Amino acid sequence: MAPPAQSHRSPSPSQPSGKGEVSDLKTQLRQLAGSRAPGTDDTKRELFKKVISYMTIGIDVSSVFSEMVMCSATSDIVLKKMCYLYVGNYAKHNPDLALLTINFLQRDCKDEDPMIRGLALRSLCSLGVANLVEYLVGPLGNGLKDGNSYVRMVAAVGVLKLYHLSASTCLDADFPPLLKQLMLKDKDAQVVANCLTSLQEIWSLEASTSEEAARERETLLSKPVVYYFLNRMKEFSEWAQCIVLELVSKYVPVDSEEIFDIMNLLEDRLHHANGAVVLATIKVFLHMTLSMTDVHQQVYERIKAPLLTLVSSGSPEQSYAVLSHLHLLVMRAPYIFSSDYKHFYCQYNEPFYVKKLKLDMLTAVANESNTYEIVTELCEYVANVDIPMARESIRAVGKIALQQYDVNAIVDRLLQFLEMEKEHVTAETLVLVKDLLRKYPQWSHDCIAVVGNISSKNVQEPKAKAALIWMLGEYAQDMQDSPYILEGLVENWDEENSAEVRLHLLTAVMKCFLRRAPETQKALGDALAAGVADFHQDVHDRALLYYRLLKYDVSVAERIVNPPKQAVSVFADTQSSEMKDRIFDEFNSLSVVYQKPSYMFTDKEHRGPFAFSEELGSLSIGTEPSDGAVAAQRVEANDKDLLLGTSEKEESHGYGNNGSAYNAPSYDASTTAGASQGHFDLVSIDQPSTLHPPSSFAIDDLLGLGMPAAPSSAPPALLLNAKATIDPNAFQQKWRQLPVSLSQETSIDPQGVAGMTNPQALPQHMQGHSINCIASGGQAPNFKFFFFAQKAEGSSAYLVECVINSSSCKVQLKIKTDDQATSQAFSELFQSALSKFGST
Amino acid sequence: MPLAASAIYFLNLRGDVLINRLYRDDVGGNMVDAFRVHIMQTKELGTCPVRQIGGCSFFYMRISNVYIVIVVSSNANVACAFKFVVEAVTLFKSYFGGSFDEDAIRNNFVLIYELLDEIMDFGYPQNLSPEILKLYITQEGVRSPFSSKTADKPVPNATLQVTGAVGWRREGLVYKKNEVFLDIVESVNLLMSSKGSVLRCDVTGKILMKCFLSGMPDLKLGLNDKIGLEKESQLKSRPAKSGKTIELDDVTFHQCVNLTRFNSEKTVSFVPPDGEFELMKYRITEGVNLPFRVLPTIKELGRTRMEVNVKVKSVFGAKMFALGVVIKIPVPKQTAKTSFQVTSGKAKYSPSIDCLVWKIRKFPGQTEPTLSAEVELISTITEKKSWTRPPIQMEFQVPMFTASGLRVRFLKVWEKSGYNTVEWVRYITKAGSYEVRC
Repeated sequence: MAPPAQSHRSPSPSQPSGKGEVSDLKTQLRQLAGSRAPGTDDTKRELFKKVISYMTIGIDVSSVFSEMVMCSATSDIVLKKMCYLYVGNYAKHNPDLALLTINFLQRDCKDEDPMIRGLALRSLCSLGVANLVEYLVGPLGNGLKDGNSYVRMVAAVGVLKLYHLSASTCLDADFPPLLKQLMLKDKDAQVVANCLTSLQEIWSLEASTSEEAARERETLLSKPVVYYFLNRMKEFSEWAQCIVLELVSKYVPVDSEEIFDIMNLLEDRLHHANGAVVLATIKVFLHMTLSMTDVHQQVYERIKAPLLTLVSSGSPEQSYAVLSHLHLLVMRAPYIFSSDYKHFYCQYNEPFYVKKLKLDMLTAVANESNTYEIVTELCEYVANVDIPMARESIRAVGKIALQQYDVNAIVDRLLQFLEMEKEHVTAETLVLVKDLLRKYPQWSHDCIAVVGNISSKNVQEPKAKAALIWMLGEYAQDMQDSPYILEGLVENWDEENSAEVRLHLLTAVMKCFLRRAPETQKALGDALAAGVADFHQDVHDRALLYYRLLKYDVSVAERIVNPPKQAVSVFADTQSSEMKDRIFDEFNSLSVVYQKPSYMFTDKEHRGPFAFSEELGSLSIGTEPSDGAVAAQRVEANDKDLLLGTSEKEESHGYGNNGSAYNAPSYDASTTAGASQGHFDLVSIDQPSTLHPPSSFAIDDLLGLGMPAAPSSAPPALLLNAKATIDPNAFQQKWRQLPVSLSQETSIDPQGVAGMTNPQALPQHMQGHSINCIASGGQAPNFKFFFFAQKAEGSSAYLVECVINSSSCKVQLKIKTDDQATSQAFSELFQSALSKFGST
Repeated sequence: MPLAASAIYFLNLRGDVLINRLYRDDVGGNMVDAFRVHIMQTKELGTCPVRQIGGCSFFYMRISNVYIVIVVSSNANVACAFKFVVEAVTLFKSYFGGSFDEDAIRNNFVLIYELLDEIMDFGYPQNLSPEILKLYITQEGVRSPFSSKTADKPVPNATLQVTGAVGWRREGLVYKKNEVFLDIVESVNLLMSSKGSVLRCDVTGKILMKCFLSGMPDLKLGLNDKIGLEKESQLKSRPAKSGKTIELDDVTFHQCVNLTRFNSEKTVSFVPPDGEFELMKYRITEGVNLPFRVLPTIKELGRTRMEVNVKVKSVFGAKMFALGVVIKIPVPKQTAKTSFQVTSGKAKYSPSIDCLVWKIRKFPGQTEPTLSAEVELISTITEKKSWTRPPIQMEFQVPMFTASGLRVRFLKVWEKSGYNTVEWVRYITKAGSYEVRC
């Protein structure tokens, strides 16, 4: 069975197309086509193998299609299989030629050998040519009634393939009811399982348009059907068991007795060798007991041992999948693994992705009783050669410190890290010490003593440098050298590449000045001068703001820049609890690995009519590899923007925390702007006149600083343009450009939710209020809409992202607009329109 | 969520496609390019086995010198996907005779395509049992179990087997000599601190069987585990025999084991598949007997010299031997010269892994050989960071020893024809990840 030698030499698709060889093959095949001499089959086999190997490595061999079909009249089953494979690969792109194959495939579907019948039927259904669907109906119908279970098994999946090719043909031929019959009575478990998967897919895709299909989908979850599957559980293969268990997890039992019956029946599945079956069983247990708190806790106890086994057995990839699930569980019930924390100690040779999750687990299970051991272990990793691992470990120590009340020992450890004199360790630790001080200001003395000894020259990473500078400013009082270190940093202003560091530097110098004015005066002057001249907009603006503040009144400046701060008690959680619940609903799927609900990442197919994803689809992974990179990046960027990327959210959260001390909420731009030409003697800057009033007003307005109570700009009644239009591209672009001007949570009328079964209902309703739907998608219970509206006068546009959870009746709104002033009014208008949905 | 794979690819390390099989049309044809550009050619490779690119998710695993990639566009079942790959590889191995690598794939690509057709249909896993697939897909070509032409020895009830109610065994097997081989294979995982305290220790064990039995035999296995013994003493209403009872933390079984009977009667009873299979897996964390103790002392003498002393103590019975013992003692990268003294075995410095490798082929119980080495380092000006010491790692195999103390108490074979069987039981303990910090 050695493949042709060519494939060794030219395995890469980038290599010569092998045109000469292909035409050689063509002539050879043609010669063989009619021949019936003995031994022909062996020659054919060799030739077919060559063709297939070319096909695999990406050489286009579609030109020999007709010859292949001619040669396919054979009784040799290997030849047949190769031919089917070939045909399946090229039929899609050569629908005319595909017609040639119909004949022999149909004939094979009637072969006396069930094996050949099955193979032919599978190939016939896999052709994927829409105009040929009429030829499928007959053989499929026969296949479903075939006496042989192999053929029925193939036919059951074949129906699904037909559905994807042409839904109407499939439904018109009444295949779904046939499948249902088969599912409920076939003797063969695999046939039953295939019927189930096909029906599930067909009915859930149909459910959005047909009420009957929605009803049918519900009947799959009815008691008789679920019990039927449960009773046959042991007959199914491990893969089919996964599918059945998934079905069972959606079933809602009537009473607790039923729940216990099902759990007793399934308990032995926890001993199954296939991890996927175990996870699926766990899902059933967890979901069924959600409403029974006590039992739910017992379930956690029961599933602990099997889960730990899964972590330690199997490949690292499998451990990774299981650990992601453990992490989800431990967030819901931190105590369950608190005594088993040693299972999450990292092994030296494990891949980083496994170690990372184990660190997350260690952080999550840490409590009063085990913190000491866990932190000791983490400190071992900090000394690790592997730099990412060391960083993650420090972060883990920091997280534990922020969780615990007794941080005494941990602070000591962290400070020891600073003495290790490794750049990455120092950098990571500085960031942590900063966060720690924000939560536990009482530790400042101990920390400052050590931090003060760190030379700022040894700290290069922006985040760490920013943290160090923040501490220099914040604790200027206690650090002897603070003004001089800052002065040194200001001197090197031009060499500092990171805007974040420059921003922090400005603020730190300012704070230091407010406390130790004489020592810092020069540094402040230099910093403000450099800041105003800075090309980075934010740095420039902040420098200007400080300058004017100081000029206006130093005590006001103090109040704004350096107000008395409260210790942070809880750092903001990056994920809403609703999101976490949703991920929990999708236990045992990718959602858990990605830590976001499926609507955020699944493709258009499963998102329903989602206009953007169509667009993304066309962008997707360019045809040429070189293009691919760019295109896919764009795709990713788009995804991030449009699909509520969590990472984006995290960043803004993080920054919000960091920056909160510096925000100047009560700053009223208009008061100082008028007097801005005055002379400020403390700092002498040659102000470029171009920076002055008109432009700075514009900037202030843009930032919304002068906003509060500007009555003229918020007309009470906002009128919308009923004929507003925008094309999806422009919308998408705009959505990306504009900041979120309003983000709100509200609720929707349960009656409205009932209307959600028809996805077109809400868009139609909103259109009645001059708000147009640009895109929609999602699956119950989560729907997502993008709306667009335009002001009747003027061109201001409103862009809305609206996420509706139909089970909790919650609505999340995000409004973006280029007319900030009216966003509130628009939001009210939008909500009132939404609240009428369902009641009309 | 079911696993609905859109495509499966086999790539070599350069990214050349060895096998590609599209199951569904919902992803573009050139997903393999996306994988190459975004994962293989970036630092991303190996940082995470699941990645999302565009609207698709990629699951990938490296097995010897081959990447197996599964592409899905839906919210798929991750555990199922990886398990599927693992099982598929096991299946291929059983066809290729043990090895699975680029050459084996190139040499068998037609066979792989045939198998891929059978094990997955439209992205849903079907039948992956080698037992059954081998009935109608053979290395020499395909033989149809239904075909009348090749029916030299007709297989009874073949239809049922292909789609499988008793998926793991076919009827009508006949052996002249009925034999059962049972191996208990344990791997010990240890993490010991530099001060000699055990940080983490557990045993993952598996029971491997090889059955050459005629007909449809029923087997019953008794172990000295706690649950089994307790149950027995209840049944026979007499106290359990003295001796060690083992508490298993968790057990998983091959699909042939009757789980209901395990739950109700606490006995492991099963109709075994023909040939080799893994009967059960278990995990133990309490009462582990460590076969070896490692006592290292590593001294850094100034900046260019190190003194390494390692004593390894075997703590199993004096009549037993450990085989293939390898102790890897890490040294700094800038090691220049090493000199050794060992009381047993051989040692050398291996620069590629920055370790002193000490090998002892046969290591008797209750002995404690030592290694003492002097290591000279190149003095470097740039390398001012102190050396962070990776743990000492150890490999070994100890036959006839179980770290858990688990023993087979009985293995009963019952078949209706009442033949006699020969049973062979072996024990072996291997090192899993056996690490000692120094």
